[in-house]
Amino acid sequence: MRTRLSSLALSTFIALCAANLSANDVDMNQLQKDLEQLKAKTSSMEAQLESNSKSGFQLAGYAAFDFKSAQDGNAEFSGVKFAPIFHAKYGDIFQFEGEIEFTTDTAGETVIELEYAAGTIFLNDYMGLQLGKFMSPLGQFVQNQHPSWINKLPSAPLGFGHDGAAPTSYVGAALRGGLPKVAGLRHNYALFVANAPTFGQAADGDTVVAVTGKTSTNGAQLNVGGRYALNPIGGMEIGISGAYGKIAEQLTATTIIGGSVADQLINRDYAAYGADFMYNINSFDIKAEYIQQDIGENDLSQLVGGTWKAVYAQFSYQFGSVPLEPVIRYSKYSNPEAEKSQIAAGLNYLFANNLIVKIAYESTNNDTTSTTSDSVQAQLAFGF
Amino acid sequence: MKILIKSSLLTLALLTTMSSNLVANENKVGDPINGVQVWADVCARCHNVRPPEDFSKRAWEYSMNHMRIRAGLTGQETRDILAFLRDSKTQSDAQ
Repeated sequence: MRTRLSSLALSTFIALCAANLSANDVDMNQLQKDLEQLKAKTSSMEAQLESNSKSGFQLAGYAAFDFKSAQDGNAEFSGVKFAPIFHAKYGDIFQFEGEIEFTTDTAGETVIELEYAAGTIFLNDYMGLQLGKFMSPLGQFVQNQHPSWINKLPSAPLGFGHDGAAPTSYVGAALRGGLPKVAGLRHNYALFVANAPTFGQAADGDTVVAVTGKTSTNGAQLNVGGRYALNPIGGMEIGISGAYGKIAEQLTATTIIGGSVADQLINRDYAAYGADFMYNINSFDIKAEYIQQDIGENDLSQLVGGTWKAVYAQFSYQFGSVPLEPVIRYSKYSNPEAEKSQIAAGLNYLFANNLIVKIAYESTNNDTTSTTSDSVQAQLAFGF
Repeated sequence: MKILIKSSLLTLALLTTMSSNLVANENKVGDPINGVQVWADVCARCHNVRPPEDFSKRAWEYSMNHMRIRAGLTGQETRDILAFLRDSKTQSDAQ
């Protein structure tokens, strides 16, 4: 009898435990269902919220911190850059984008530059009308690769920085977009009309072609230009660019010939031509670009016109097993007064695709004076 | 002046050619299948690819409009990439 009672008690205990466990199972399942429902509800509300708000903005941008040790100079922390990019839109019809670049100069002063500020009205699927100050559509480095987290080396190729051979920005209007496929190939274009660039003597005596957007033609006519690019295969783009018009020059007491009227504005003929190539396949990345600006002569000025040209070719490879990326780049820049060439070799460590530490060795040869200067540069770049 | 006139005429011709669809392109649907292909082809051409989880769904809209201008994407390609990014975000958020 005792054994029976014990068996009955044990059976009852086991049955109760099983029932309790089963009840817990039901609760867990219910909880899971509730969670799924909540998730779906949240997603739906989020989607509704997003579709209901046509206007809004986003703050993006990049920052970079540089170190440089030059063969003929001191080792120093050579650069600090903060470049917020503001994006605002109205539905799918309009997008405004502006980039302000804050840098600290050698005297500790903060330098502020409006890199671009332009609004684009998307007229249809193939055309946007862009108005304002926009990055030069000629070529690809200035427009698409100047942000530090994109550029694979700490410096720009020779001639592709400010006041080099490659135009930087324009103030004007542009029509641009992707075109319908032809024979299965993607292609895109940009056409613009903009205020004329300026030509003159910089404070250091160098003659400078300044193709940065200005809110005046300075007495010269508007320039027109554009770029057409074809994508023969995925990951590859081949582009050609050109711009034509006049370039304005303000005569000064030191540049005027045979006259006494300084501060007079004169015009010269101006043309720019370029070609660019990009190819990314698997972990290999190849980029190359050529740009040339031809400046005509003017009998009233002592400054000599001529050709400003620059070329670069870059090759990089991203290892799959380790976040390392070796880069090598050749660049050359020449103008009527000087000629330079440079070899840069670097190694990047990618904490993430947008957080990169770069270390590079650059050897720059001044072909005019037959001198060479070497430097080691490092940069921490972050895109956000 | 001649070059300006020529350019203006060219622009007008281009606008006229494309005016059959001269409307804003809201409320059209993106194709995530094509989007992933265009995303893979176009983005890595210029820069390291930013994965879907880098931005919110909303932030991707601004970034994609920006890239539509910079990379010369068509409106449909932009919507396709956005559809792919949103789908990827939805899946990763659900996990």
